[in-house]
Amino acid sequence: MRPIRTLKISISGVRGVIGDSLSPALLANFAQSFGTYVGGATVVVGRDTRTSGEMVRHAVVSGLIATGCRVIDVGVCPVPTIQLAARNLHAHGGIAITASHNPAEWNALKFIKGDGCFLSSYEAEELLRIYHQHEYSFAPSRRFRTLRYYPRAIQDHIDRIVEKIGRLKSGFRVAVDCCNGAGSLMSPQFLEALGCRVIPLHVIPDGRFPRPPEPIAQNLSELSQLVRDSKADVGFAQDADADRLAIISESGEPIGEDNTLALAAYYVLGKTRGTVVVNLSTSQVLDDIAAMRGGRLLRSRIGEVNVTDRMKTSGAIIGGEGNGGVIYPQVNFGRDSFVGMALILHLMQEEQKTVTEILAQLPHYSMIKTARQIASDQIPGLLEKLKRFYGDKKIDLQDGVKIHLDGSWIHVRPSNTEPIMRVVVEAPSLEQAEKLVQEIEAQLG
Amino acid sequence: MSLLKISIAGVRGVVGEALTPELLIRFAQAMGTYANGKIAVCRDTRPSGEMALSAVLSGLIASGCQVIDLGICPTPSMQLYVGEKGFSGGIAVTAGHNPEEWNALKFVRPDGMYFNALQGQELLDVYHQGEFNKARWDQLPPVVCDGTAVDGHIARIVEQVDVKAIRARRFKIALDCCNGGCSLASPRLLEQLGCEVFVINNDLTERLPHDPDPSSGNLSQLKALLKAAGADIGFGHDTDGERLGIVTEKGEPLHQEKTLGLLARVLLERRPGIVVTNFSTSRMVEDLARRFGGSVVRTPVGQAFIAGKVKELDATVGGEGSGGVVVPFVQYTNDSLAVIAVLLEYLACRRRSISELDSELPRYVMKKQDILLEPYQIFSTLQNLRAQWEEREEAVDFTDGIKWEWPDGWLHVRASNTESLIRVIAEARDESRATELLDGALAQLGSVAG
Repeated sequence: MRPIRTLKISISGVRGVIGDSLSPALLANFAQSFGTYVGGATVVVGRDTRTSGEMVRHAVVSGLIATGCRVIDVGVCPVPTIQLAARNLHAHGGIAITASHNPAEWNALKFIKGDGCFLSSYEAEELLRIYHQHEYSFAPSRRFRTLRYYPRAIQDHIDRIVEKIGRLKSGFRVAVDCCNGAGSLMSPQFLEALGCRVIPLHVIPDGRFPRPPEPIAQNLSELSQLVRDSKADVGFAQDADADRLAIISESGEPIGEDNTLALAAYYVLGKTRGTVVVNLSTSQVLDDIAAMRGGRLLRSRIGEVNVTDRMKTSGAIIGGEGNGGVIYPQVNFGRDSFVGMALILHLMQEEQKTVTEILAQLPHYSMIKTARQIASDQIPGLLEKLKRFYGDKKIDLQDGVKIHLDGSWIHVRPSNTEPIMRVVVEAPSLEQAEKLVQEIEAQLG
Repeated sequence: MSLLKISIAGVRGVVGEALTPELLIRFAQAMGTYANGKIAVCRDTRPSGEMALSAVLSGLIASGCQVIDLGICPTPSMQLYVGEKGFSGGIAVTAGHNPEEWNALKFVRPDGMYFNALQGQELLDVYHQGEFNKARWDQLPPVVCDGTAVDGHIARIVEQVDVKAIRARRFKIALDCCNGGCSLASPRLLEQLGCEVFVINNDLTERLPHDPDPSSGNLSQLKALLKAAGADIGFGHDTDGERLGIVTEKGEPLHQEKTLGLLARVLLERRPGIVVTNFSTSRMVEDLARRFGGSVVRTPVGQAFIAGKVKELDATVGGEGSGGVVVPFVQYTNDSLAVIAVLLEYLACRRRSISELDSELPRYVMKKQDILLEPYQIFSTLQNLRAQWEEREEAVDFTDGIKWEWPDGWLHVRASNTESLIRVIAEARDESRATELLDGALAQLGSVAG
């Protein structure tokens, strides 16, 4: 069997490589499926800065108009901005054109509901059914609605965060790396609106990414250097669509994506007691923070929509994922790096401490994330094998296999977005974590 | 009746289940693969225009073309622009004279003319084969918008006519733009020619106010406007600036055939030569050519055939009975703005009225009827009819369908290029003979229908 590595149509949307599998006709048909799904109602469309964004946008617009949708184009802007616009503009849905942290040759459609959340898994299944069965609707052209442009989405987003989280009194010096992505059009103004002095890096929104867009430590050396050279109080890094946030401490050290949500939750729980929802692969430091601040912690399957669904049912006050995605329902029901920046800057202001000093107040764990290409037919057998091997331990089967060990854990699951098996391990020390990785690698063969 | 027509003239259909975004995208990709380079696009004002243009843009960009979007403008403005800029081609998103629910893609080659039959066939081959150019992510040039195509077009027309003479006459013009692609261009041209313009239906954001074919039956609003304004002449546009309808100062809408007749009359006097037209067009052009010492060459129906022949033969004028006329010294395509300017120049220089000029045209009566058929019935029906006549020794021409010529009239039976139907056209000196010819043809077709 020879699976395609350049196209993935799943409940996370449709994602693929431009000039290879992701053709304009496929995109238009998908948009038409979505237009059919929302019954030809109002749909917000926005995109990140990728060079293929214009082509994809035109295909999407033609598909949506053909079903009779009223299309509102919010232009190039961050994904959380598009999610918020769907809500603010009373749309019935939205399409975000972005492959978030994937390399520049990729693009994708992400489907948003009227409340700003992504489609849940069963809703996405319904959409896929329309697409696969070619059950698109066609409106007669006399009912086509003229495309409208809405250029204020970014300003609305800034205003909302300033209103809900507030301006800062301290004039922090903040370095921000937008990866020439959608954050380039918002982060500098946003941080200034909060009252910061901004030291910008990679804010040319041309979609030519100067570093891999995933904001993980090894991709952020330039920002680390900039923080040190400019003596900034903190550094922030975004991915291409600005839903994920990574933090560089005042000493130029990447603090790890998991700590973004940890710090944000630490601040929010300090203000209000309530429920926090994270996914199964998120650091156990969140359990410790919930215990310290008197909150409740719930875990969901991996995937933004699984987290937000659980947040809604549990009335959570904050949630997110360990990859740097902070969800704060006061502002937005989706991962929002701008919310993350605001919460963390407020934490620094309130504690009168640096990021390093605040982190020192929290327990420290070592996490190792790896991925393995494993043929699809091997995956179910491997998961069974792990279940048997760790039969005497506490096992969570919500999403792949998660094994709770004493003070550490292992999570093995097939990826939603790529043809790989993901392995995440967390332990009190790096040595212990490495030992667990070896143990699991041996099992995976 | 089929709602989609894929032919060498392009792709045309009722938007919705026939003309889908996917089909439009794939045709644009085929064009991007075939022409491969800088491509200009424009559209008319149909409600499906935005959807269809978006589909075309995504297909062209994906195939790696640099797209220049000229916005809403007459198709001949785009054609002139493509030729002057040396682009690789153009796509017009317009169904011209078809009803509002239709749309179409028309393909233009580097010299600004429409694809000829062979090029149209090659494009179809690329479309059917389905292997389109796929540009890499870093080779997708952004779309560039250019709003100057109409300026260039007007400038070109103005330099070809005696502007002083036209201005001195201070024409009062009644104008119906059908809320189409000429809504901005046509009033501007007329103002540059010193005319006082009374214009209706020039709102790009409104629906088409009436059937866009400027045949005499669709000019009633224009006629009322002309009378109210006391105008010297009235002009009616289709949605893309190819066909022109004319109303005289007396408020009489002229038969569509007369647009070519008038231009042939005007231009043959200036330069006796060849008139190119199709087999379905009035015999009045032969009479005019004889009067001025010229001749007539007939081609199959379709403006690509006419324009190609005009260029090849260095003809004086070309056109079709539908109201589309090629003015060769402006460009080799149907261009209703050029027709307006040339006609006004003649009326101004000769100090004549349009009804006086019309009274000089030979009088014929034309009768037309369309027979709706399923697409798979059309060619067998025509073939059956043809078989009956091939053996007889009469003046029958099979170049485009079947055409009979008699001293007192003619009859033409052919398949439409744009719709799923057979057209029957008869012309004679008087009504009764024309009706007799038409009825005879309908009876024959009834007996051979497949």
